[in-house]
Amino acid sequence: MKITIDGKEIEAREGQNILDAALEAGVFIPHLCSHPDLEAKGGCRLCSVEIAGQQGAVPACKTQVQEGMEVTVNGPESSKVRKMAMELILASHPADCTGCPKYGKCELQSMYQYMGVSPEGWRKKSRSVANDDSNPLVSHLFTRCVRCGRCIRACQELRGVKVLDYIKTPAGIRAGIPEGRSLADAGCRFCGACIEVCPTGSIMDQVKIMKEERSYAENVVPCKSTCPAHIDIPRYIRYIKKGDFDKAAAVVREKVPFPETLGSICTHACEEECKRGELNAPVSICRLKRFAAANDSGAWKARVRKEDAAGKKAAVIGAGPAGLTAAYYLAKKGHEVTVFEKNEKAGGQCRYGIPAYRLPDELLDKEINTMLEAGFTLKTGAAPASPRELLGQGYDTVLVSIGTHQGTRLPMEGNDLPGVYVNADFLKHARKGTPLPVGEKVMVLGGGNVAYDCARTAVRLGAKEVHMACLESEEQMTSTPDEIEEGRQEGIILHPAHSFLKIIGTGKAEGVEIQKIDKFYFDENHKAVMELVEGSNQVIAVDNVIFAVGQKPEGTEEMELALAHGPYIQVDENLKTSMEGVFAAGDVVTGTKSVIAAIAAGRKAAQQMDVYLGGDGDISEKLLDEEAPSPYLGQDQGFAGLTRVEPEVRDASLRTKDFSLVEQPMTCQQAQCEASRCLQCDLRLLLHRPKLWNEY
Amino acid sequence: MSMLEKIKNLESTECVVDTLYQAVSKNECTECGKCVFGYEGVTQLQMILGDITEKKGKSSDLAQMQELCEMMKSQSLCETGEEIGAAVLTAIDTCRADFEDHIAKKGCRASVCQKFMTYHILAGRCTGCGDCMDACEDEAILGKAKFVHVIDQKECIQCGACMEACEEDAVVRAGAEKPKCPKRPIPCKRK
Repeated sequence: MKITIDGKEIEAREGQNILDAALEAGVFIPHLCSHPDLEAKGGCRLCSVEIAGQQGAVPACKTQVQEGMEVTVNGPESSKVRKMAMELILASHPADCTGCPKYGKCELQSMYQYMGVSPEGWRKKSRSVANDDSNPLVSHLFTRCVRCGRCIRACQELRGVKVLDYIKTPAGIRAGIPEGRSLADAGCRFCGACIEVCPTGSIMDQVKIMKEERSYAENVVPCKSTCPAHIDIPRYIRYIKKGDFDKAAAVVREKVPFPETLGSICTHACEEECKRGELNAPVSICRLKRFAAANDSGAWKARVRKEDAAGKKAAVIGAGPAGLTAAYYLAKKGHEVTVFEKNEKAGGQCRYGIPAYRLPDELLDKEINTMLEAGFTLKTGAAPASPRELLGQGYDTVLVSIGTHQGTRLPMEGNDLPGVYVNADFLKHARKGTPLPVGEKVMVLGGGNVAYDCARTAVRLGAKEVHMACLESEEQMTSTPDEIEEGRQEGIILHPAHSFLKIIGTGKAEGVEIQKIDKFYFDENHKAVMELVEGSNQVIAVDNVIFAVGQKPEGTEEMELALAHGPYIQVDENLKTSMEGVFAAGDVVTGTKSVIAAIAAGRKAAQQMDVYLGGDGDISEKLLDEEAPSPYLGQDQGFAGLTRVEPEVRDASLRTKDFSLVEQPMTCQQAQCEASRCLQCDLRLLLHRPKLWNEY
Repeated sequence: MSMLEKIKNLESTECVVDTLYQAVSKNECTECGKCVFGYEGVTQLQMILGDITEKKGKSSDLAQMQELCEMMKSQSLCETGEEIGAAVLTAIDTCRADFEDHIAKKGCRASVCQKFMTYHILAGRCTGCGDCMDACEDEAILGKAKFVHVIDQKECIQCGACMEACEEDAVVRAGAEKPKCPKRPIPCKRK
C-alpha cells in the first residue's frame, strides 16, 4: 500500500507500523526505544507524528499504516511532544558525553543533536549508581540508563534468557538484575544482545576484551578472527550442539582441508581468545573440530568447487600443509597441479615432525587421500628440481613450500659428539620406524612443543630418565600448558630457567653441564641477556642429548631466490618471490609456525597464484546452505559455571610404552555437552544496528 | 478516593501543594519506568512540587507543570500517568492562589509546609533559662539569663529543635498569623 510522509509517497506493507515503513523507505523519524529486532512499546514518544484527520500526536511505532494515510513528522503537536520527551530524558541523564565510552556511537547523543534539544529549563535529576565491572565480559554503567527497555526486551523476549528486568533502586527505576544477583548467578548466557541493543553507554563490552587493532566484528567473535584460517567456529560448534555433525564438518571444510589433523594437533590460538575463558575455561574448540571431522560422512563433497580446466600448469615443491593446501585449491580452480615431495610420503612436519602418538599415519593418509580427490598429482620421493628448472619444464607458476626441516645445533662444546642429535632428525627417524638409538638417560635442550615431542618420543623409545632444560621459566615457555602437564605425567624432568654450558664426554656424549639463570631478558638491541646464578652449575649424566632449539629451511640457497634473515625466502605481501612466477608460503617464509598458519598461507598462495594465472582468485566454497541460527537461547541456570569437558586420555603408565594415540576423540555426548558451553558470541552480529540520522 | 476527588475536597488543614507532592511521590509511575512521560513526568512534578513546598518555587513553575501535565494526559503509556497529570492540572485550576502564595513565598495557608512556618518565643512564658539557645545549632536565638529569648528569623531554619527543648511551652510555631513578640531580649516577667 502507499502512504505519504511529509508529502512524500512511500511504499508500506499491511500490518507494518509507520516508523518501520518510514525507516525502510529511507525517511528518518527520530526514535529511541524501538529497535528493528524488538517489539515496539511506544514508551519514549520520540517517534511522535501527526496523522491527517486525527487529533494530536501519536507514536509512529505503535500506529499501523493504512492505505492513503497522510503522516506529518514535524507538525506543531508532534514536535512539541518529541521535544519535551527528549528534554525530560536528558534532564535525568548525565551530561558527560565526552567522558562516555559510547561517545560518537551513542543513539541518544545522535538523536538529541539532530533535534537540537537540551534539558535547560527542567530540574535535573541525578540517578547515579556505581559502575559494575565485576563481570569479565560485560560492564554495567547504569547511571546512563534511559529506561528504553531494549536490553530487557532483548533478554526476555528475543533470547528468552530472562535475566534483565526493570529494577527499583534507591536511585530510581532502571534496567538491571533483580535481587542484586550477579550476571553469572542470574543465569546470563553472555550472548551480548543487551550490549548490542543498548542505545547509550549503559551496557558495554569490557574494555580489555575490545582490542584496538581489531574491527568491531573481530572483537565480538575473537575465536574466528584469531584463527589464521578464520574458520567459522561458533557456527560449527552450534551444529555439534544440535547433533548435526556433517554440517559441522562442512563448516570447518569451508576453510581448511585437514580438519581432523588440525583437531588433533592445532595450537588453537582461538581458545586463548575464547570469551568463555574469561568466565571459567575456554570452549574446547580444537577437540570439537576433531570430533566433527571424525564424524564426517563426506556430504560436503557434493558441493565442492570444481572449475573447468584453465589450461595452466602449476608446480608445488614440498607436500606439507602449506603446499598441499595450495595444490588442493589450485586444482579446484581448474589448474593442472603437480606436487613434488622429496620424502617417501606427503605431510611435511605433520608426517615427519609431529609424533605418531599425537597424529597417526592412518589419519594423515586418510585426509591427504581426500584432498587428492580434488585432482592434483603427488610425486613423492621426487628430488625437487629448482623453481627455474620447473618453469623451464612448462610450469606456468611454482610454489616453494619446503618448510623448515633442518634442526639447529647450538655452537657449544661437545655438540658433535656421538649420541648428540637434533630435533628434526630424531623425530623423523622415529616416525619412519627407524629410530635413532637412545640410552638410559636423555637430555632435551629446548622448551617448545617440539622439545616435548622429542622428550616424549625418547620416553617411548625406552629411555628411563628424560630431562629437559630451557632458558625460559615455566611461565615463559612456548610449549602449551597441556604439553607441560602431559610431559610431567610421563616422568619428564624439567629444568626451566637453565643455561646449557657444554656437553661433556670422551668419544660419546656423557652429560650436560647446566647452570641456573637468575634473569633472562632482551636488551634494547633485542639481544638476549642472561644473568646466571653463581655456583649453581651441575652436570647431568646422560647418554644422549637432543637439540630442540629451532629449525630452519634446507636448500633454499640453491634456489636463486632472494632470501631474508638467513635461509628464509623473501616474499612480498602477495607471497611473490624475487623470481617471476615463483611464490613461496609456509614455514620456509615465516620460520616454524603452526599447521593452521601454514594452511592459511597455502590458501593465500592458491588465491594469488590463480590471479597470476589469469583467474579471479576466488577459492571460497559454500559446502552447506546458509541457515540463520535461532535467536532464542532460553534459560539455563548455572550456564556460567558449566565446566570444560575433557576427553579420555590414556594413562601415562600405558601410553609411554608405545606410539599409539594419547587422546581419544570426544564421544557424541561429550562433544554436544562441550558445544553447549559456547556463548555464541556471533549471534549478536545478526541483530540489526539502528542507523543514525546522518546515515539516511 | 481518587486523586481528583481528594483535591476537590481538601480540608482547611490540608495544603494542596503538599498533598500533591505526597501523592506524586507515592505514585505508581515512580515504580514503573516504562514510559518517559509517566516516569520522567512524575520525577519532574516531584522535584517542582517539592521545591514549591520548600519555598524554592519559581514563577515559571505553574506554566511548566501545566504544559507537562497536558503531555502526561495524552502521552503516557497507561492511565496512571494520565490521571496524575489530570489531578495536578485540576489542582492548579482550582487552587491557583495557594500555589501562587507558596511561590511568592507569602506562606502556606494551611500551615503544613514546614519551610513557611516560623518559630517564636512568647514573652509571657519565657523564663530565660537558655535551654532553647543550647538546642539551636544555627545560633539563631538571642538572649541571656533572665531575659526573654528572641528568635532571629533571618538565621532560623525552622528545624523546631527549640520548641522541643522548651519545658515552658514558650516556643510556638506560626503560619500566616504571627504572634506579637519582642524584637530584642527584654527582662523576663516570669520567674
